[in-house]
Amino acid sequence: MGIHQKITGLFLLVSTLIYSQERPSYFQPSLLRASATIAPTRFYTQQTTVALINGFVEYALENRISVRGEANIMAPNGKLLYTNSPEKFPRNFTSIYAGFGYHLGKRNWKFDIHAEPGIAISEMAQQPFLIVPVAYQWSVSPSYMLKGGTSFYFSKYCHFFAEINYSNGWIRKTPLTSVSIAQYGISAGLGFHVLTKKN
Amino acid sequence: MILFAKIQNQILSYLRYMKGILLIFTLTLGFCFLGQADRKYTPAGMLSLGGRTTVSLFNDHENEMTGTGVGGQFRLQFSDAVNTDWFFDYITSDILNYAHRTDYHIGWSVLFYPINNLDYFRQKEEFKPKFRPYILAGHCFDYSKIEAKVSPLDGPMSAERWSSAVQAGLGTHLELSPRFDISLTGQYMIHLGNHIETDYDFTTGALSFNEHKGASLAGHVLVTLSLNYKIAKLWGFTRR
Repeated sequence: MGIHQKITGLFLLVSTLIYSQERPSYFQPSLLRASATIAPTRFYTQQTTVALINGFVEYALENRISVRGEANIMAPNGKLLYTNSPEKFPRNFTSIYAGFGYHLGKRNWKFDIHAEPGIAISEMAQQPFLIVPVAYQWSVSPSYMLKGGTSFYFSKYCHFFAEINYSNGWIRKTPLTSVSIAQYGISAGLGFHVLTKKN
Repeated sequence: MILFAKIQNQILSYLRYMKGILLIFTLTLGFCFLGQADRKYTPAGMLSLGGRTTVSLFNDHENEMTGTGVGGQFRLQFSDAVNTDWFFDYITSDILNYAHRTDYHIGWSVLFYPINNLDYFRQKEEFKPKFRPYILAGHCFDYSKIEAKVSPLDGPMSAERWSSAVQAGLGTHLELSPRFDISLTGQYMIHLGNHIETDYDFTTGALSFNEHKGASLAGHVLVTLSLNYKIAKLWGFTRR
């Protein structure tokens, strides 16, 4: 890409942002937003990467405060993208979180941080080193998620978002040492929103 | 006769313990009527709802490691100086690598704001985030279950108990808006009543559970981070 194209691209980007500032502020109290996307997630203590399906619903309580619920689901019996120890990793994994968000930034471009306590529901092999069919056991483990990201509200009903998250917890119901589910992941995509109350 | 003496001891220890709870409850009611100045706004009757994450440290149980938990709470304020938390916690922890423990706590705590009278805490036209420290004390009921990591052939191996506990500690809110706060609390919780001990033979790998009846003091430090939002005002809307 030449220097002229870069300057033109930058000019277009800046003019888009300036244009967006002339629009009404879509992020207001009573805004309800939701989306679902694929979230590549790295369970770094297990040296395993999976694709989780992430969905969230969020409601703006105040200009800066929102309440949010979300879920991450590993496709049942889905293939792991990359792993060093599949026999010690959950066969099924779902996590559910609910918490609050804090939103900074003016008008339609927001920077968000979220803190969300939750639970992780997982299914672990109980005899992981046996080759014969083994028993599996479900368990519910306490967990929490911290999330940071940015959202750009470009129309009355749509916005773009990009987020990075960290969550942690331990699966205790294992025949060996407990399995850490410390993980970080990213998610991004198109979100949908609507104002539920008229000003 | 021995059984009768045991029952008598148990009843006496329970009464001594209940006396403490009654004292806390009486103090709570006393504080409710303090600091209710004649003004338009009073926080009495404010109801908050929140979620919480807890870390359990320095457990008395032999070889028990740091636990992590999740829970929820609602908070009901009685006056400027007194608030109450009503909580539920689900906490899990490891006992080395041979057993794991699950605790369910359901209880309440009284929060007292000792420096509430400073100008720093007064409502201004423009809200500014602020810290609000507090002392807390309370009581909870506890269900604990300890399970062996490796079950014997004849089925899962576990032991469980119901007990009661008292807790006290310090904390602070970080009020980020007039309605929203993040609260960090450190408290020591003492379990009263029956307790379970695990005996593990590191040579043979044999594990056994021993349940001990009677009062026993066993506790742990709980560090809790909670997020709370004020959702309703149940009484005391305005004062003229």
